Amino acid sequence: MILGYRLQRRLDADARRSAIYRISGAVAGLLVSGLFLLVTGRNPVTILADSFEAVFGSKRGIEGVAVQSIPILMCAIGVSLSLRMKVWNIGSDGQFLAGAFVACGIGINVDLPAGVLLPLMMLGSLIGGAIWILVPAAARAHWGVNEIITSLLLNFVAVQLVVWASLGFWRDTTSMVTQSTRSVPFTLPRIPGFDSVSIAFFVPLILALALWVVFRSTKVGYEIDIIGGNPRAASFAGINVPRRVIIVMLTSGAIAGLGGVLQLTGAPGAQALNGGGFSRAYGLSGFIVAALAGASFLGVLVAGLFLSSMFYAGIALQTKGLSVYIIFAIYGMVLIGVAIGETASRYRLYRSVAEMSGPVDLETVTSGAAS
Amino acid sequence: MTDSQHTTSVEVRDVVKSFGGVLALEHVNLEFRVGEVHALLGENGAGKTTLSNILAGIYREESGHIFIGGVERSFHNPAQAIEAGVGMVHQHFRLVNSMSVAENLHLGSPDTPKIVSQRLLIDRARAMMADIGLTVDPEAKIWQLSVGEQQRVEILRVLARGARVLILDEPTAVLTAKEARELFVVMRRLAEGGRTVVFISHKLNEVLEVSDRITVLRGGRHVITREGAGVTARELARLMTGDEAGIEVAHREVRGDDVLVLDGVSARNSRGVEALHGVSFSVRSGEILGIAGVSGNGQTELAEVVTGLRRSDSGRVSIDGAAVTNTSSRRITDLGVGHIPEDRIGVGMVASAPLKDNAVLRHYRDPELSTRRLLKRDRVVEFARSLVEVGRVQTRSVHMPAGQLSGGNQQRLVARRESLLASRLLVAAHPTRGLDVLASKQVQEAIIERRDAGCAVMMISDDLDEILAVSDRILVMYEGRVMGVFNRADYDRERIGLMMGGRTEATS
Amino acid sequence: MMFAIIENAFLSILGSAVPASTVIVLAATGVLLNERVGVLNLGQEGFIAIGAVFTVISVQEWGVENSWLALLAGVLGAAVIGAFFALGVVVMRVSQVLVGLAVALGGVGLANQLGTNRNGSPVPTEIQFSDLDPFGVFADNEFFEAFLLHDPVTYLAYLVIPAALWFLLFRTRHGMVVRAVGENPGAVDAVGASVTGLRFFYTVVGSAITGAAGAYMVLTITPTWSPDIARGRGWVALAVVIFAAWRPGRVVLGALLFGTMISFESTAKARSWNLPFLAAVDMGFLLSMLPYIVTLIVILVPAGAAHMGRRIRATDAPAALATPYLREER
Repeated sequence: MILGYRLQRRLDADARRSAIYRISGAVAGLLVSGLFLLVTGRNPVTILADSFEAVFGSKRGIEGVAVQSIPILMCAIGVSLSLRMKVWNIGSDGQFLAGAFVACGIGINVDLPAGVLLPLMMLGSLIGGAIWILVPAAARAHWGVNEIITSLLLNFVAVQLVVWASLGFWRDTTSMVTQSTRSVPFTLPRIPGFDSVSIAFFVPLILALALWVVFRSTKVGYEIDIIGGNPRAASFAGINVPRRVIIVMLTSGAIAGLGGVLQLTGAPGAQALNGGGFSRAYGLSGFIVAALAGASFLGVLVAGLFLSSMFYAGIALQTKGLSVYIIFAIYGMVLIGVAIGETASRYRLYRSVAEMSGPVDLETVTSGAAS
Repeated sequence: MTDSQHTTSVEVRDVVKSFGGVLALEHVNLEFRVGEVHALLGENGAGKTTLSNILAGIYREESGHIFIGGVERSFHNPAQAIEAGVGMVHQHFRLVNSMSVAENLHLGSPDTPKIVSQRLLIDRARAMMADIGLTVDPEAKIWQLSVGEQQRVEILRVLARGARVLILDEPTAVLTAKEARELFVVMRRLAEGGRTVVFISHKLNEVLEVSDRITVLRGGRHVITREGAGVTARELARLMTGDEAGIEVAHREVRGDDVLVLDGVSARNSRGVEALHGVSFSVRSGEILGIAGVSGNGQTELAEVVTGLRRSDSGRVSIDGAAVTNTSSRRITDLGVGHIPEDRIGVGMVASAPLKDNAVLRHYRDPELSTRRLLKRDRVVEFARSLVEVGRVQTRSVHMPAGQLSGGNQQRLVARRESLLASRLLVAAHPTRGLDVLASKQVQEAIIERRDAGCAVMMISDDLDEILAVSDRILVMYEGRVMGVFNRADYDRERIGLMMGGRTEATS
Repeated sequence: MMFAIIENAFLSILGSAVPASTVIVLAATGVLLNERVGVLNLGQEGFIAIGAVFTVISVQEWGVENSWLALLAGVLGAAVIGAFFALGVVVMRVSQVLVGLAVALGGVGLANQLGTNRNGSPVPTEIQFSDLDPFGVFADNEFFEAFLLHDPVTYLAYLVIPAALWFLLFRTRHGMVVRAVGENPGAVDAVGASVTGLRFFYTVVGSAITGAAGAYMVLTITPTWSPDIARGRGWVALAVVIFAAWRPGRVVLGALLFGTMISFESTAKARSWNLPFLAAVDMGFLLSMLPYIVTLIVILVPAGAAHMGRRIRATDAPAALATPYLREER
């Protein structure tokens, strides 16, 4: 309530308006970041130009973005799936790591030909990711426990687990790197014509497309959207809401876990878990992507590639004196912009009671008292 | 309390209040006196809560004058009203559950010392209670208290701030009979102590039992003020409900079989309090049974039990002879039962979803609209379009979010959708609540269409005119019990009004 | 003999765990204040990092030479960010979760960025907070070391601030209103107090206290700036407050407990402990997972009990936590 304006919640939520506001918010966040850069003595325009150059100017740049995008997109897709039900899965970092952990364990300790080992590892990663979200999912569906804190807490448990494995029980004693597990015995093949991008790149693309179809044309997709829109109406429609919530959340975790095994076996460098740095905030970045995309799966692809480009540019521009941390600061600004945009689309400002719409038998006041 | 010596504590002169173009109070004139218990009686929407909210500083009058203790006042906010000595106890308490009674009594009060201790607060609370004459255990936390005790804390809180005029908004709605009786004793005692107690209610019994004077409001107008001693329940009922002629609806004498049968059904509401007590009745095919009564007397729970959304604790419910007591709502729907829910936005629709998704909300499993896995999207759009057309929903497209429709159009959609489902029984809970005249008429027509097709209809409404016009039979509910059932030939507005207020013939 | 070993271990844990946990105590106190007025602030990592970096900058760039002033610089930096956070979340009613995560991610990023060129150059020892026994007279006595010889900020964090907070919340008229804001803002609004104003103020104060945690860190434990200086302690602080059921006294104890758990490994290494059956490394990792698992259990048990019909009220969160308040919707 500033300057005599008050907020009223809108009843007519509109997906399109919400998308416009969110994207505008993201853009505004970028602009403000540019301002900050200016203030700290850097030229945002040249940085932007350099970034473009780095990303699009060479094959290496495009490959770099593609490589970064695999884990980010996988996490983003997982989070988006939950977000369709208005479930906020902040634990995809943990699910990602859990999937990688299980896959690594299988890969290191089980002696089978690659053709059998890989599917086994993938299955393991799906299970790992699903297990990691199981407790938050069950607690939310049956006991109404807010999933934000529960999924968040498990992130840190996963990090400790992975660091432990890297320094302790699966430690690679032959390597010079201090924190690393032993390597899994194979690497995913690269896409023909590319040096560093593995075929894993197609997985999030296919997954996003598949989910897009599910939510456009299937009964299940319809039901999930209804749950997200109004759980009581979903019950009214005869949907078993708790069961559906758990299944979707488990799937969401499994997808993030799958991202883990793809990163483990496909990323350039050692095919091993290297401590806490294995996930470079992929889960959180995925969450930002999902928030920006508003749980639209095609939007997730676009936003995910966009964020990955920023990320890659940040790494590549270190040679020009920019630190990679700026990227995270910019991510933060973008998220704030998206959040503000989201709120702006859900409330409207009004000055007097006459301007309010909808049921007015509420306690609107012509009062001067602060709220 | 003699007539000749009274002092006016509150005078309301020519007050007008409207919301968004709808008049809630129209040139109301009244006065409340020192030392009296004054009841404000009226149906839902009569304006009693609006008037009280103005006196308590929550709303502001548009025009007219208000005098408190002879001084003209106009309140911008509740704090000013409290300062002027007017305090209101709402239906939803403004208490902090985790804090103690003593703490709640002192919350935000400028008289509280800056540094406190539990001991100090408790002692001061005890002193306060002794002063006022009401007691509750000051050390207890609010969540440990019964509803009646919590209400007493609210009353104490208001009185502790120096209220001389105490307004109670439907205070017995949340109380047991015993607690209500205790409350009346308190009210009398406060009045005798020189305060003014304004008591908002729709319950004739209580109003007659405890009030010195009674004011009836109807349609935002002051109808009359009478001495409590000199009026009968019958008169009050008539004054409350008026005698307007209703809409003309054609009625037929069709005696079908029983479709819905309730036998001794009891159920509790969401707070765990008994809301239905041994309710028994039946609805036949080809008739509309109107459930009359003021909101809050168990109608909500009744609709929920019949449609499978709430468990009943005892009794039996059957539809077409099949026992459906406590089965899933899905099973009941499959028996051919449609439900126009009381809470349209909260239960019946998904506001953020497109109209077409809402149109198929209950039908999407039909083989016409989907295969085992896939939705037939084109058929869905067709279905939605046909629903919109037949239901006369005014909209540009079936793809826009349902939340953008007006209330009337939303309800047209829901009514048509549920009519399609209702091959045997239609439960319509407050179907025209909040709708404009045209939408109301069209929704009623949809309901009547079902009846003419042989469906059994149970329609709940707190608008007596509507019930009288539309129903073939009327059942009156009060405090979770069936007060009486009327055939069309025996409709008696006055008697029905009496029952709505809690009086049957015998105690009239 | 056994007793001596246990006593020895206990005191040495206390001696090293207490200062190690001071950061968490401070951060958790800040979280407590935020959550008591109903604001869920997930950005603790960011506030700690900002507090730390501003302190370092004040010493290395602005020439501050007094430890307390350097601490203040960090506190103020965090308070400024806190004000922006409060502006968005309390006044504009933007989603507390999203903005909190943004601060956690972005704040750490910003701090790392500001600290980039300072890796490796420590805050001079003269400016660091020193233990109360600079001459080492009592250094060999475990008992003294455990209880009496910590730096002044530790005493502030463990004793003074929690006591002051407790007094404010439970022994003043104002404190009652503050508590009520987090439980039932409608009740506060009804008595004419400003819900927005109170929430804003205490969000900023809470952020400032959390910033003090970061500032303290670079003035004692890790005087050399490095990226990600908070290293998860902000999140532990969030867990502590839940574990402590939002009570000031329990927050201190919980912070000490969790702090001990997460620093077990480094403490064991520093003291060359030899554990019989499990390598210290492994024990360390298990223990570092424990705070989060324990907190999870603390969340789940009452929820399950409530579901079965037995509410455990003593562990209830402030009822209005994370819900923006609009008078119109009361």
